[in-house]
Amino acid sequence: MRVGRSTPPTGQVASTFAVSGEGDRLALEGVLDIHTLPEAQRSLRQALKQRKKGALDLANLSGLDTPGALFLCGLGDKGVAFTGVRAEHKALLDLVCGLELKPLPKPKSVPRWRQFIIGLGRGADEAWHDTGDVITFIGRAASAVGNVLIHPRSLRLPAISRQIEETGVNALPIIGLMAVMISIVIGYQGVAQLRPYGGEDFTINLVAVSMLREMGVLITAIMVAGRSGSAFAAEIGVMKARDEIDALNVMGMNPMALLVVPRVIGLVITLPLLTFFSDVMGLVGGAVISQVQLGVSPVQYVDRVHHALDASDLFVGLFKAPVFGFLIAVIGCMHGLRVRGSADSVGRETTRAVVKTIFVVIVLDALFSILFEKLGL
Amino acid sequence: MKPATQRHLKPIVSARDVVNRFGTQKVHDGISLDVLRGEVLGIAGGSGSGKSVLLKTLAGLHRPDSGEVLVGDKPVDALGPAEKASLFGVLFQQGALFSSLSVAQNVMLPMREHTDLPPEEQERLTAMKLALAGLPADAGVKLPAELSGGMVKRAAFARALALDPRILFLDEPTSDLDPLTAGGIDALIAQLNRSLGITVVIVTHDLTTLFTVCSRLAVLVDKKITVGTLDKLMRSDQPWIHDFLHGPRAQGAMSARKHNHGNG
Repeated sequence: MRVGRSTPPTGQVASTFAVSGEGDRLALEGVLDIHTLPEAQRSLRQALKQRKKGALDLANLSGLDTPGALFLCGLGDKGVAFTGVRAEHKALLDLVCGLELKPLPKPKSVPRWRQFIIGLGRGADEAWHDTGDVITFIGRAASAVGNVLIHPRSLRLPAISRQIEETGVNALPIIGLMAVMISIVIGYQGVAQLRPYGGEDFTINLVAVSMLREMGVLITAIMVAGRSGSAFAAEIGVMKARDEIDALNVMGMNPMALLVVPRVIGLVITLPLLTFFSDVMGLVGGAVISQVQLGVSPVQYVDRVHHALDASDLFVGLFKAPVFGFLIAVIGCMHGLRVRGSADSVGRETTRAVVKTIFVVIVLDALFSILFEKLGL
Repeated sequence: MKPATQRHLKPIVSARDVVNRFGTQKVHDGISLDVLRGEVLGIAGGSGSGKSVLLKTLAGLHRPDSGEVLVGDKPVDALGPAEKASLFGVLFQQGALFSSLSVAQNVMLPMREHTDLPPEEQERLTAMKLALAGLPADAGVKLPAELSGGMVKRAAFARALALDPRILFLDEPTSDLDPLTAGGIDALIAQLNRSLGITVVIVTHDLTTLFTVCSRLAVLVDKKITVGTLDKLMRSDQPWIHDFLHGPRAQGAMSARKHNHGNG
């Protein structure tokens, strides 16, 4: 019985293995390694079944590796004697047979339903602590920002302007594109739904009001949460993982003032500006859809928008932007500072930061909607 | 603890006129190096002399800008994945253990990929590899993040040995370890070389490793390589090599070598 192997490793004999001989004396030939091991086990168990104690001749064994040696050690423990062992195999057998082998401990298995309940409890506990952490960190960040505003000399203008460039200027193309697309989506749906009632002209009001009050700021905030919230968490997280935060502390510099405050101030400035940009682009998208679907020329469109909109529509949208900006920056930085130890923690915290910021943005937006409704704005 | 020297004098891996460049800066300028079957070759050199890059080039992980690396008589690029896995084991400087898998799963991964052994057999072999690398069996269920520096190296050793490779490439196997643990790693390397007949290529700054475990040294200086036995290199008049092998730290390593060899 011979077992072949497709590609013999360079310079080695092809891995074949065979048992020969009869009676009490069996001889092994070829290579006994990890690839021929299953075949060797099968054939030798059969051959050795009849006899309690036998002898194996290893003189013609040209190759032996540790799995093969382990198998032979097992046979040796059962009383099989080896003859003609080559010197290089002797050393290997001595090493492997001399190892104290214990089976790998099995991880404790927990039933599915208990895992589920444990998971629920753990999740609830984490969510509770998380909420506390977020509120605490918002307080610390607000106090740090307030401190800087009281002592404007400690304001790090270069850092803030770099943040504005990264989170604001560089985000303009994608946010403009998103705003145009969203207003086109709203416009198409509006025309389709209002046409049966003959009210398709009101699509312009729909697009203009919903972009300015809700969609502009929401799209911008979600985009910025994905773009910059994650970046904050990752940047600060990598610094934390490499002990750079500790280095700042040791040198008497406050990471809060140095890393968190510029990001928070930067985003509080950026997000309203981006929102305004997104509003404008949304109205441009509305103009396109009016021309194509309603045959309303841009000049007429501007006039219609002027009548449809109230100043409060713009301000309701813009009012929310700095609040969202503050929360996105704070939550992103908080998760960055939460990184512990290794690099995979950076990835985990970044994911959490993005999920949490988008969640907070949408929940707050809903609350704002109710609030403004009650205030009659 | 004498290394199993020159059991066969055939090169198992050889680099031919390797040139490596990063940007405009040349790191290696026409390096030729033979790794002999069964030897322990130490690669030394100053920081930034391209030791790790040379190791990666030899292991086929980095394609040189010119020149080639031959394994037997085949270029290293022409080796298939399964063939490469059973020929080469690499111990990376930071261990490179997969952080989401337990130590035992790390060791089992190459076996699962490249053999048809049943799971319980794989577990038995994994327990053996862990014992071979000097780890207790209960370290198998731990995650890499829960291990100390020395245990990470040992776990990485166990994974590198998973398929009984013919050649083991070690990148700084004793860096960041305390002297006792480093000594244990040195003894492990010597034992694997002696008992398993494994060819070992070590990149290291550790003079004790170079002096006690390696049968030959390759020193990278000025983008070129000088290869020879320790005794030959000790007589070299190249200033860097002379300072490297005769400095105050080398004296200590030398006495470790005498101590080791004295005890056989």
